[in-house]
Amino acid sequence: MRRKRPIVLLWLCVLALVLGACGGDDEEGGGGGGGGAAATPAAEVEQYPASTTMGKIQAKKQITIGVKYDVPPFGFKNPRSNAIEGFDIDFGKAVAAKLGVKPRFVEAISDNRIPFIMDGTVDLVLSTMTINPERAEEIGFTDPYFIAKGRILQKKGGGITGVEDLAGKKVCTVLGSTYEETLKEQAPDAELTLVDTYSECLESIQNGSVEAVSTDDVILTGMIIQDDSLELVKGEELTTEPYGGGFKKGDREFREFLNGVLDEYETSGAWAKAYQKWLGQYTGEKQEPPTETLSDALEAAA
Amino acid sequence: MDVLTDNLDDFAAGLWVTTRLVGAAFLVAVVLGTLVAALRVSESRPLRSVGGLYVETFRNVPLLVLLFITFPGLRRGGVDINAWTAGIIALGLYTSAYVAEVLRSGVAAVSQGQREAGLSLGFGQVAVLRRIVLPQAFRTVIGPLGSITIAMIKNSAIVGASIVALDDILKEARVVNSATFQTTEAFFWAAVCYLLLTLTATAAFRGLEARYAIRR
Repeated sequence: MRRKRPIVLLWLCVLALVLGACGGDDEEGGGGGGGGAAATPAAEVEQYPASTTMGKIQAKKQITIGVKYDVPPFGFKNPRSNAIEGFDIDFGKAVAAKLGVKPRFVEAISDNRIPFIMDGTVDLVLSTMTINPERAEEIGFTDPYFIAKGRILQKKGGGITGVEDLAGKKVCTVLGSTYEETLKEQAPDAELTLVDTYSECLESIQNGSVEAVSTDDVILTGMIIQDDSLELVKGEELTTEPYGGGFKKGDREFREFLNGVLDEYETSGAWAKAYQKWLGQYTGEKQEPPTETLSDALEAAA
Repeated sequence: MDVLTDNLDDFAAGLWVTTRLVGAAFLVAVVLGTLVAALRVSESRPLRSVGGLYVETFRNVPLLVLLFITFPGLRRGGVDINAWTAGIIALGLYTSAYVAEVLRSGVAAVSQGQREAGLSLGFGQVAVLRRIVLPQAFRTVIGPLGSITIAMIKNSAIVGASIVALDDILKEARVVNSATFQTTEAFFWAAVCYLLLTLTATAAFRGLEARYAIRR
Protein backbone atom coordinates (compact mmCIF):
# COMPACT_ATOMS: atom_id res chain seq x y z
CA MET A 1 0.00 0.00 0.00
CA ARG A 2 2.82 2.35 -0.87
CA ARG A 3 0.62 4.85 -2.65
CA LYS A 4 -1.67 5.39 0.34
CA ARG A 5 1.02 7.02 2.41
CA PRO A 6 0.69 10.62 1.20
CA ILE A 7 -3.01 10.52 1.99
CA VAL A 8 -2.45 9.25 5.51
CA LEU A 9 0.21 11.91 6.03
CA LEU A 10 -2.14 14.58 4.75
CA TRP A 11 -4.80 13.56 7.24
CA LEU A 12 -2.27 13.49 10.07
CA CYS A 13 -1.35 17.07 9.21
CA VAL A 14 -4.97 18.14 9.28
CA LEU A 15 -5.41 16.37 12.61
CA ALA A 16 -2.35 18.04 14.05
CA LEU A 17 -3.61 21.45 12.96
CA VAL A 18 -7.02 20.86 14.49
CA LEU A 19 -5.55 19.59 17.76
CA GLY A 20 -3.17 22.53 17.85
CA ALA A 21 -6.05 24.95 17.46
CA CYS A 22 -8.01 23.29 20.24
CA GLY A 23 -5.10 23.19 22.64
CA GLY A 24 -5.12 26.90 23.35
CA ASP A 25 -8.51 26.93 24.98
CA ASP A 26 -7.64 25.61 28.41
CA GLU A 27 -5.43 28.44 29.57
CA GLU A 28 -7.84 30.35 31.72
CA GLY A 29 -9.43 27.29 33.22
CA GLY A 30 -13.09 26.32 33.01
CA GLY A 31 -15.70 26.34 35.70
CA GLY A 32 -17.81 29.23 36.77
CA GLY A 33 -14.88 31.33 37.97
CA GLY A 34 -14.87 35.10 37.95
CA GLY A 35 -17.88 35.37 40.19
CA GLY A 36 -16.00 37.22 42.90
CA ALA A 37 -17.55 37.22 46.33
CA ALA A 38 -20.52 35.05 45.37
CA ALA A 39 -18.33 32.07 44.50
CA THR A 40 -16.18 32.05 47.64
CA PRO A 41 -17.69 30.20 50.59
CA ALA A 42 -18.69 32.72 53.23
CA ALA A 43 -17.20 32.44 56.67
CA GLU A 44 -20.41 31.65 58.50
CA VAL A 45 -23.05 29.62 56.69
CA GLU A 46 -25.92 27.77 58.20
CA GLN A 47 -25.26 24.03 58.55
CA TYR A 48 -28.26 21.95 57.50
CA PRO A 49 -29.23 18.52 58.90
CA ALA A 50 -27.38 15.76 57.04
CA SER A 51 -30.64 14.11 55.99
CA THR A 52 -31.77 17.09 53.91
CA THR A 53 -30.69 17.77 50.33
CA MET A 54 -28.93 20.90 51.61
CA GLY A 55 -26.99 18.82 54.16
CA LYS A 56 -26.00 16.30 51.50
CA ILE A 57 -24.78 19.06 49.23
CA GLN A 58 -22.76 20.56 52.09
CA ALA A 59 -21.21 17.14 52.79
CA LYS A 60 -20.16 16.91 49.10
CA LYS A 61 -18.85 20.50 49.32
CA GLN A 62 -20.31 21.23 45.89
CA ILE A 63 -23.68 21.70 44.22
CA THR A 64 -24.13 20.42 40.67
CA ILE A 65 -26.33 22.77 38.64
CA GLY A 66 -27.59 22.03 35.14
CA VAL A 67 -27.48 25.14 32.96
CA LYS A 68 -27.55 26.11 29.30
CA TYR A 69 -24.17 26.55 27.61
CA ASP A 70 -25.51 28.26 24.51
CA VAL A 71 -28.28 30.62 25.58
CA PRO A 72 -26.88 34.08 26.12
CA PRO A 73 -27.61 35.98 28.25
CA PHE A 74 -28.95 33.29 30.62
CA GLY A 75 -26.33 30.58 30.45
CA PHE A 76 -23.46 30.53 28.00
CA LYS A 77 -19.81 29.66 27.68
CA ASN A 78 -17.83 32.85 27.30
CA PRO A 79 -15.68 32.18 24.22
CA ARG A 80 -12.80 34.29 25.56
CA SER A 81 -12.51 33.03 29.13
CA ASN A 82 -14.28 29.66 28.71
CA ALA A 83 -16.21 30.45 31.92
CA ILE A 84 -19.94 29.73 32.12
CA GLU A 85 -21.79 33.01 32.58
CA GLY A 86 -25.26 34.50 32.60
CA PHE A 87 -28.35 35.38 34.58
CA ASP A 88 -29.04 31.74 35.56
CA ILE A 89 -25.41 31.28 36.56
CA ASP A 90 -25.45 34.33 38.85
CA PHE A 91 -28.50 32.95 40.64
CA GLY A 92 -26.84 29.52 40.87
CA LYS A 93 -23.80 31.11 42.50
CA ALA A 94 -26.07 32.82 45.03
CA VAL A 95 -27.59 29.43 45.92
CA ALA A 96 -24.14 27.88 46.29
CA ALA A 97 -22.91 30.79 48.42
CA LYS A 98 -25.88 30.36 50.76
CA LEU A 99 -24.78 26.74 51.33
CA GLY A 100 -21.10 27.63 51.53
CA VAL A 101 -20.24 25.21 48.72
CA LYS A 102 -18.70 25.47 45.27
CA PRO A 103 -21.08 25.53 42.28
CA ARG A 104 -20.32 23.02 39.52
CA PHE A 105 -22.10 23.91 36.29
CA VAL A 106 -22.89 21.16 33.77
CA GLU A 107 -24.65 21.51 30.43
CA ALA A 108 -28.34 20.55 30.49
CA ILE A 109 -30.12 20.93 27.14
CA SER A 110 -33.91 21.21 27.02
CA ASP A 111 -34.31 17.56 26.09
CA ASN A 112 -32.23 16.05 28.91
CA ARG A 113 -32.62 18.40 31.88
CA ILE A 114 -35.66 16.61 33.36
CA PRO A 115 -34.01 13.16 33.16
CA PHE A 116 -30.90 14.77 34.73
CA ILE A 117 -33.00 15.83 37.73
CA MET A 118 -34.77 12.49 38.01
CA ASP A 119 -31.60 10.39 37.89
CA GLY A 120 -29.65 12.69 40.23
CA THR A 121 -27.05 13.83 37.68
CA VAL A 122 -27.72 17.38 38.88
CA ASP A 123 -28.99 18.78 42.19
CA LEU A 124 -30.68 21.75 40.57
CA VAL A 125 -31.55 22.93 37.08
CA LEU A 126 -31.46 26.62 36.18
CA SER A 127 -31.78 26.54 32.42
CA THR A 128 -34.47 28.93 31.17
CA MET A 129 -37.05 26.28 32.10
CA THR A 130 -40.69 27.31 31.91
CA ILE A 131 -42.95 26.17 34.73
CA ASN A 132 -45.86 24.11 33.40
CA PRO A 133 -48.21 21.47 34.84
CA GLU A 134 -46.82 18.58 32.74
CA ARG A 135 -43.32 19.22 34.01
CA ALA A 136 -44.60 19.76 37.57
CA GLU A 137 -45.81 16.14 37.43
CA GLU A 138 -42.22 15.01 36.97
CA ILE A 139 -40.09 17.44 38.95
CA GLY A 140 -40.31 20.08 41.69
CA PHE A 141 -40.21 23.80 40.83
CA THR A 142 -39.16 26.92 42.72
CA ASP A 143 -41.25 30.08 42.52
CA PRO A 144 -40.70 31.88 39.20
CA TYR A 145 -37.38 33.71 39.19
CA PHE A 146 -37.96 35.36 35.83
CA ILE A 147 -40.91 35.97 33.50
CA ALA A 148 -40.12 35.70 29.81
CA LYS A 149 -42.47 36.21 26.86
CA GLY A 150 -42.89 34.10 23.76
CA ARG A 151 -41.96 36.03 20.61
CA ILE A 152 -40.90 35.45 17.00
CA LEU A 153 -37.51 36.29 15.49
CA GLN A 154 -36.96 36.92 11.79
CA LYS A 155 -34.39 38.42 9.46
CA LYS A 156 -34.86 42.20 9.23
CA GLY A 157 -37.56 42.89 6.65
CA GLY A 158 -38.69 39.24 6.70
CA GLY A 159 -42.33 40.27 6.31
CA ILE A 160 -43.74 38.32 9.26
CA THR A 161 -46.08 40.52 11.31
CA GLY A 162 -47.69 38.01 13.64
CA VAL A 163 -48.14 34.36 14.47
CA GLU A 164 -50.67 33.90 11.64
CA ASP A 165 -47.94 34.68 9.08
CA LEU A 166 -46.03 31.57 10.14
CA ALA A 167 -48.36 29.33 8.10
CA GLY A 168 -46.36 27.47 5.46
CA LYS A 169 -43.08 28.91 6.75
CA LYS A 170 -40.19 26.96 8.26
CA VAL A 171 -39.93 27.81 11.95
CA CYS A 172 -37.15 26.62 14.23
CA THR A 173 -37.49 25.83 17.90
CA VAL A 174 -35.90 23.44 20.35
CA LEU A 175 -37.06 19.87 20.84
CA GLY A 176 -38.45 19.42 24.34
CA SER A 177 -39.18 23.13 24.85
CA THR A 178 -42.71 24.47 25.46
CA TYR A 179 -42.75 26.08 22.00
CA GLU A 180 -43.07 22.68 20.37
CA GLU A 181 -46.65 22.60 21.73
CA THR A 182 -47.29 26.35 21.53
CA LEU A 183 -46.43 26.48 17.83
CA LYS A 184 -48.44 23.36 17.01
CA GLU A 185 -51.46 25.09 18.60
CA GLN A 186 -51.03 28.70 17.46
CA ALA A 187 -49.43 28.06 14.05
CA PRO A 188 -50.65 24.59 13.03
CA ASP A 189 -49.68 25.19 9.39
CA ALA A 190 -46.09 26.16 10.13
CA GLU A 191 -43.38 23.69 9.21
CA LEU A 192 -41.46 23.00 12.43
CA THR A 193 -37.73 22.36 12.45
CA LEU A 194 -36.88 20.83 15.82
CA VAL A 195 -33.23 20.92 16.86
CA ASP A 196 -31.31 20.33 20.08
CA THR A 197 -29.97 23.76 20.92
CA TYR A 198 -30.84 27.41 20.30
CA SER A 199 -27.46 27.91 18.67
CA GLU A 200 -28.62 25.50 15.95
CA CYS A 201 -31.75 27.65 15.48
CA LEU A 202 -29.54 30.73 15.16
CA GLU A 203 -27.37 28.96 12.58
CA SER A 204 -30.48 27.86 10.69
CA ILE A 205 -32.00 31.34 10.43
CA GLN A 206 -28.61 32.81 9.50
CA ASN A 207 -28.08 30.33 6.67
CA GLY A 208 -31.69 30.71 5.58
CA SER A 209 -32.83 27.12 6.06
CA VAL A 210 -35.62 28.45 8.32
CA GLU A 211 -37.48 31.75 8.08
CA ALA A 212 -38.27 32.30 11.75
CA VAL A 213 -37.30 31.21 15.24
CA SER A 214 -39.82 31.24 18.05
CA THR A 215 -38.98 31.01 21.72
CA ASP A 216 -38.59 33.22 24.81
CA ASP A 217 -37.87 36.90 24.09
CA VAL A 218 -34.74 36.86 26.24
CA ILE A 219 -33.22 34.00 24.28
CA LEU A 220 -34.10 35.78 21.03
CA THR A 221 -32.55 38.97 22.43
CA GLY A 222 -29.38 36.94 22.96
CA MET A 223 -29.43 36.05 19.26
CA ILE A 224 -29.87 39.70 18.26
CA ILE A 225 -26.90 40.62 20.47
CA GLN A 226 -24.86 38.16 18.36
CA ASP A 227 -26.34 39.12 14.98
CA ASP A 228 -28.01 42.49 14.49
CA SER A 229 -29.42 41.58 11.06
CA LEU A 230 -32.18 39.81 13.02
CA GLU A 231 -35.22 41.44 14.63
CA LEU A 232 -38.13 40.59 16.91
CA VAL A 233 -41.57 40.57 15.29
CA LYS A 234 -43.55 43.38 16.96
CA GLY A 235 -46.93 42.75 18.42
CA GLU A 236 -48.62 40.47 20.83
CA GLU A 237 -46.63 37.81 22.64
CA LEU A 238 -47.49 34.16 22.02
CA THR A 239 -47.13 33.14 25.64
CA THR A 240 -45.85 34.18 29.05
CA GLU A 241 -43.11 31.92 30.30
CA PRO A 242 -42.32 31.91 34.03
CA TYR A 243 -38.87 30.40 34.56
CA GLY A 244 -38.43 28.17 37.59
CA GLY A 245 -35.54 26.24 39.08
CA GLY A 246 -36.06 22.47 38.88
CA PHE A 247 -35.18 19.77 41.41
CA LYS A 248 -36.32 16.31 42.48
CA LYS A 249 -40.09 16.13 42.93
CA GLY A 250 -41.36 16.09 46.50
CA ASP A 251 -38.26 17.63 48.13
CA ARG A 252 -40.16 20.21 50.21
CA GLU A 253 -37.23 21.34 52.36
CA PHE A 254 -35.09 22.02 49.32
CA ARG A 255 -37.92 24.00 47.71
CA GLU A 256 -38.38 26.16 50.81
CA PHE A 257 -34.66 26.71 50.99
CA LEU A 258 -34.47 27.72 47.31
CA ASN A 259 -37.48 30.03 47.58
CA GLY A 260 -35.80 31.64 50.61
CA VAL A 261 -32.64 32.24 48.60
CA LEU A 262 -34.75 33.68 45.77
CA ASP A 263 -36.63 36.08 48.11
CA GLU A 264 -33.38 37.36 49.51
CA TYR A 265 -31.89 37.60 45.98
CA GLU A 266 -34.82 39.75 44.88
CA THR A 267 -35.11 42.01 47.94
CA SER A 268 -31.36 42.62 48.30
CA GLY A 269 -31.20 44.18 44.84
CA ALA A 270 -29.01 41.37 43.46
CA TRP A 271 -31.79 40.39 41.03
CA ALA A 272 -32.04 43.94 39.64
CA LYS A 273 -28.26 44.10 39.27
CA ALA A 274 -28.17 40.81 37.39
CA TYR A 275 -31.06 41.96 35.17
CA GLN A 276 -29.29 45.17 34.25
CA LYS A 277 -26.01 43.33 33.63
CA TRP A 278 -27.41 40.60 31.37
CA LEU A 279 -30.51 42.14 29.76
CA GLY A 280 -31.25 45.77 30.61
CA GLN A 281 -28.10 47.17 29.04
CA TYR A 282 -28.94 45.53 25.69
CA THR A 283 -32.70 46.07 25.51
CA GLY A 284 -32.88 49.38 27.35
CA GLU A 285 -35.99 48.03 29.06
CA LYS A 286 -36.69 47.75 32.77
CA GLN A 287 -38.30 44.86 34.59
CA GLU A 288 -39.28 44.19 38.21
CA PRO A 289 -38.51 40.86 39.89
CA PRO A 290 -41.47 38.47 39.54
CA THR A 291 -43.95 38.46 42.41
CA GLU A 292 -45.90 35.39 41.24
CA THR A 293 -45.71 32.18 43.21
CA LEU A 294 -45.40 28.69 41.80
CA SER A 295 -49.13 28.07 42.10
CA ASP A 296 -49.92 31.35 40.26
CA ALA A 297 -47.67 30.19 37.44
CA LEU A 298 -49.24 26.73 37.32
CA GLU A 299 -52.77 28.15 37.32
CA ALA A 300 -51.97 30.57 34.54
CA ALA A 301 -50.59 27.72 32.45
CA ALA A 302 -53.50 25.35 33.08
CA MET B 1 -48.23 -0.06 24.74
CA ASP B 2 -50.26 3.16 25.14
CA VAL B 3 -47.24 5.17 24.12
CA LEU B 4 -47.24 3.37 20.75
CA THR B 5 -50.99 3.32 20.11
CA ASP B 6 -51.52 6.97 21.17
CA ASN B 7 -48.67 8.17 18.96
CA LEU B 8 -48.92 5.73 16.07
CA ASP B 9 -49.08 8.62 13.55
CA ASP B 10 -45.79 10.03 14.80
CA PHE B 11 -43.96 6.72 14.74
CA ALA B 12 -45.37 5.84 11.30
CA ALA B 13 -44.36 9.26 9.92
CA GLY B 14 -40.85 8.80 11.34
CA LEU B 15 -40.57 5.31 9.89
CA TRP B 16 -41.59 6.61 6.47
CA VAL B 17 -39.05 9.46 6.60
CA THR B 18 -36.23 7.10 7.62
CA THR B 19 -37.26 4.58 4.94
CA ARG B 20 -37.13 7.21 2.19
CA LEU B 21 -33.87 8.63 3.52
CA VAL B 22 -32.03 5.29 3.66
CA GLY B 23 -33.58 4.16 0.35
CA ALA B 24 -32.28 7.22 -1.50
CA ALA B 25 -28.94 7.17 0.31
CA PHE B 26 -28.53 3.48 -0.56
CA LEU B 27 -28.96 4.26 -4.26
CA VAL B 28 -26.40 7.06 -4.05
CA ALA B 29 -24.01 4.79 -2.13
CA VAL B 30 -24.23 1.86 -4.54
CA VAL B 31 -23.91 3.95 -7.70
CA LEU B 32 -21.04 6.08 -6.41
CA GLY B 33 -19.45 3.12 -4.60
CA THR B 34 -19.39 1.10 -7.83
CA LEU B 35 -17.85 3.95 -9.81
CA VAL B 36 -15.20 4.52 -7.16
CA ALA B 37 -14.45 0.80 -6.92
CA ALA B 38 -13.94 0.82 -10.70
CA LEU B 39 -11.44 3.67 -10.28
CA ARG B 40 -9.71 1.80 -7.46
CA VAL B 41 -9.03 -1.27 -9.64
CA SER B 42 -8.26 0.58 -12.84
CA GLU B 43 -5.02 0.14 -14.77
CA SER B 44 -4.22 3.83 -14.57
CA ARG B 45 -2.34 5.01 -11.52
CA PRO B 46 -3.82 8.54 -11.37
CA LEU B 47 -7.35 7.09 -11.51
CA ARG B 48 -6.46 4.69 -8.68
CA SER B 49 -5.20 7.65 -6.61
CA VAL B 50 -8.42 9.59 -7.21
CA GLY B 51 -10.41 6.59 -6.01
CA GLY B 52 -8.13 6.21 -3.01
CA LEU B 53 -8.47 9.86 -2.06
CA TYR B 54 -12.25 9.60 -2.31
CA VAL B 55 -12.41 6.54 -0.08
CA GLU B 56 -10.02 7.92 2.53
CA THR B 57 -11.85 11.25 2.63
CA PHE B 58 -15.38 9.98 3.08
CA ARG B 59 -14.38 7.08 5.33
CA ASN B 60 -12.38 9.28 7.67
CA VAL B 61 -14.61 12.34 7.98
CA PRO B 62 -17.24 11.73 10.69
CA LEU B 63 -20.80 11.61 9.35
CA LEU B 64 -21.81 14.47 11.64
CA VAL B 65 -19.10 16.68 10.12
CA LEU B 66 -20.23 15.72 6.59
CA LEU B 67 -23.76 16.78 7.54
CA PHE B 68 -22.47 20.15 8.72
CA ILE B 69 -20.62 20.58 5.43
CA THR B 70 -23.52 19.55 3.20
CA PHE B 71 -26.22 21.57 4.97
CA PRO B 72 -25.20 24.77 6.84
CA GLY B 73 -21.83 24.74 5.08
CA LEU B 74 -23.18 24.65 1.52
CA ARG B 75 -26.02 27.05 2.39
CA ARG B 76 -23.54 29.57 3.74
CA GLY B 77 -21.59 29.07 0.54
CA GLY B 78 -24.67 30.23 -1.38
CA VAL B 79 -26.05 26.82 -2.44
CA ASP B 80 -29.81 26.65 -1.87
CA ILE B 81 -29.82 23.03 -0.69
CA ASN B 82 -32.70 21.63 1.37
CA ALA B 83 -32.51 19.35 4.38
CA TRP B 84 -33.56 16.23 2.44
CA THR B 85 -30.96 16.60 -0.29
CA ALA B 86 -28.25 17.43 2.22
CA GLY B 87 -29.07 14.41 4.38
CA ILE B 88 -29.22 12.01 1.42
CA ILE B 89 -25.95 13.29 -0.03
CA ALA B 90 -24.06 13.14 3.27
CA LEU B 91 -25.30 9.66 4.22
CA GLY B 92 -24.86 8.42 0.63
CA LEU B 93 -21.30 9.75 0.23
CA TYR B 94 -20.27 8.42 3.63
CA THR B 95 -21.65 4.95 2.89
CA SER B 96 -20.33 4.89 -0.69
CA ALA B 97 -16.74 4.81 0.59
CA TYR B 98 -17.48 1.57 2.42
CA VAL B 99 -19.33 0.12 -0.57
CA ALA B 100 -16.32 0.93 -2.76
CA GLU B 101 -13.92 -0.84 -0.39
CA VAL B 102 -16.09 -3.94 -0.18
CA LEU B 103 -16.49 -4.08 -3.96
CA ARG B 104 -12.76 -3.70 -4.42
CA SER B 105 -12.20 -6.77 -2.26
CA GLY B 106 -14.86 -8.54 -4.34
CA VAL B 107 -13.01 -7.61 -7.54
CA ALA B 108 -9.80 -8.96 -6.05
CA ALA B 109 -11.57 -12.26 -5.44
CA VAL B 110 -12.42 -12.68 -9.14
CA SER B 111 -9.62 -14.70 -10.67
CA GLN B 112 -7.24 -12.88 -12.98
CA GLY B 113 -7.93 -15.52 -15.64
CA GLN B 114 -11.47 -14.19 -16.10
CA ARG B 115 -10.15 -10.76 -17.00
CA GLU B 116 -7.50 -12.14 -19.30
CA ALA B 117 -10.00 -14.38 -21.04
CA GLY B 118 -12.33 -11.39 -21.53
CA LEU B 119 -9.53 -9.26 -22.95
CA SER B 120 -8.38 -12.00 -25.32
CA LEU B 121 -11.94 -12.38 -26.57
CA GLY B 122 -11.81 -8.74 -27.64
CA PHE B 123 -13.66 -6.99 -24.80
CA GLY B 124 -12.27 -3.58 -23.82
CA GLN B 125 -11.09 -2.75 -20.29
CA VAL B 126 -14.39 -1.10 -19.31
CA ALA B 127 -16.50 -3.85 -20.85
CA VAL B 128 -14.50 -6.54 -19.06
CA LEU B 129 -15.08 -4.73 -15.78
CA ARG B 130 -18.76 -4.03 -16.41
CA ARG B 131 -19.81 -7.35 -17.96
CA ILE B 132 -17.45 -9.90 -16.44
CA VAL B 133 -15.64 -8.77 -13.29
CA LEU B 134 -18.12 -6.52 -11.44
CA PRO B 135 -21.13 -8.87 -11.74
CA GLN B 136 -19.06 -11.61 -10.13
CA ALA B 137 -17.63 -9.19 -7.57
CA PHE B 138 -21.15 -8.12 -6.54
CA ARG B 139 -22.17 -11.73 -6.07
CA THR B 140 -19.13 -12.35 -3.83
CA VAL B 141 -19.82 -9.42 -1.51
CA ILE B 142 -23.59 -9.63 -0.96
CA GLY B 143 -23.02 -10.49 2.71
CA PRO B 144 -20.73 -7.52 3.53
CA LEU B 145 -23.01 -5.18 1.51
CA GLY B 146 -25.84 -6.28 3.80
CA SER B 147 -23.77 -5.32 6.85
CA ILE B 148 -23.03 -1.92 5.34
CA THR B 149 -26.73 -1.36 4.63
CA ILE B 150 -27.65 -2.20 8.23
CA ALA B 151 -24.95 0.15 9.51
CA MET B 152 -26.31 2.86 7.20
CA ILE B 153 -29.86 2.43 8.52
CA LYS B 154 -28.57 2.96 12.04
CA ASN B 155 -26.31 5.84 10.98
CA SER B 156 -29.36 7.57 9.50
CA ALA B 157 -30.41 8.49 13.06
CA ILE B 158 -27.56 11.02 13.06
CA VAL B 159 -29.25 12.92 10.21
CA GLY B 160 -32.34 13.58 12.34
CA ALA B 161 -30.38 14.38 15.48
CA SER B 162 -28.07 16.86 13.72
CA ILE B 163 -28.81 20.38 12.49
CA VAL B 164 -30.31 18.83 9.33
CA ALA B 165 -33.19 17.90 11.68
CA LEU B 166 -35.26 15.59 9.47
CA ASP B 167 -38.27 14.18 11.34
CA ASP B 168 -37.03 10.59 11.32
CA ILE B 169 -37.76 7.70 13.69
CA LEU B 170 -35.45 8.90 16.45
CA LYS B 171 -36.72 12.50 16.18
CA GLU B 172 -40.35 11.40 16.41
CA ALA B 173 -39.52 9.23 19.42
CA ARG B 174 -37.94 12.25 21.09
CA VAL B 175 -41.00 14.38 20.28
CA VAL B 176 -43.21 11.69 21.84
CA ASN B 177 -40.85 11.52 24.82
CA SER B 178 -40.94 15.26 25.38
CA ALA B 179 -44.76 15.20 25.32
CA THR B 180 -45.30 12.09 27.45
CA PHE B 181 -42.06 11.78 29.49
CA GLN B 182 -42.33 8.02 28.88
CA THR B 183 -38.65 7.74 28.02
CA THR B 184 -38.27 3.98 28.15
CA GLU B 185 -41.32 3.23 26.04
CA ALA B 186 -40.73 5.99 23.49
CA PHE B 187 -37.22 4.78 22.74
CA PHE B 188 -38.20 1.12 22.94
CA TRP B 189 -40.67 1.67 20.08
CA ALA B 190 -38.06 3.65 18.17
CA ALA B 191 -35.75 0.64 18.48
CA VAL B 192 -38.56 -1.59 17.19
CA CYS B 193 -39.01 0.70 14.16
CA TYR B 194 -35.29 0.51 13.38
CA LEU B 195 -35.43 -3.27 13.81
CA LEU B 196 -38.26 -3.43 11.28
CA LEU B 197 -35.97 -1.76 8.75
CA THR B 198 -32.79 -3.64 9.60
CA LEU B 199 -34.50 -7.04 9.69
CA THR B 200 -36.17 -6.29 6.35
CA ALA B 201 -32.75 -5.44 4.94
CA THR B 202 -31.30 -8.61 6.44
CA ALA B 203 -34.05 -10.74 4.88
CA ALA B 204 -33.60 -9.04 1.50
CA PHE B 205 -29.86 -9.64 1.49
CA ARG B 206 -30.35 -13.26 2.68
CA GLY B 207 -32.65 -13.77 -0.30
CA LEU B 208 -30.13 -12.23 -2.69
CA GLU B 209 -27.38 -14.34 -1.21
CA ALA B 210 -29.36 -17.56 -1.53
CA ARG B 211 -30.05 -16.74 -5.15
CA TYR B 212 -26.87 -15.19 -6.45
CA ALA B 213 -23.97 -15.74 -4.08
CA ILE B 214 -20.92 -17.52 -5.43
CA ARG B 215 -19.38 -19.96 -3.00
CA ARG B 216 -15.79 -20.83 -3.63
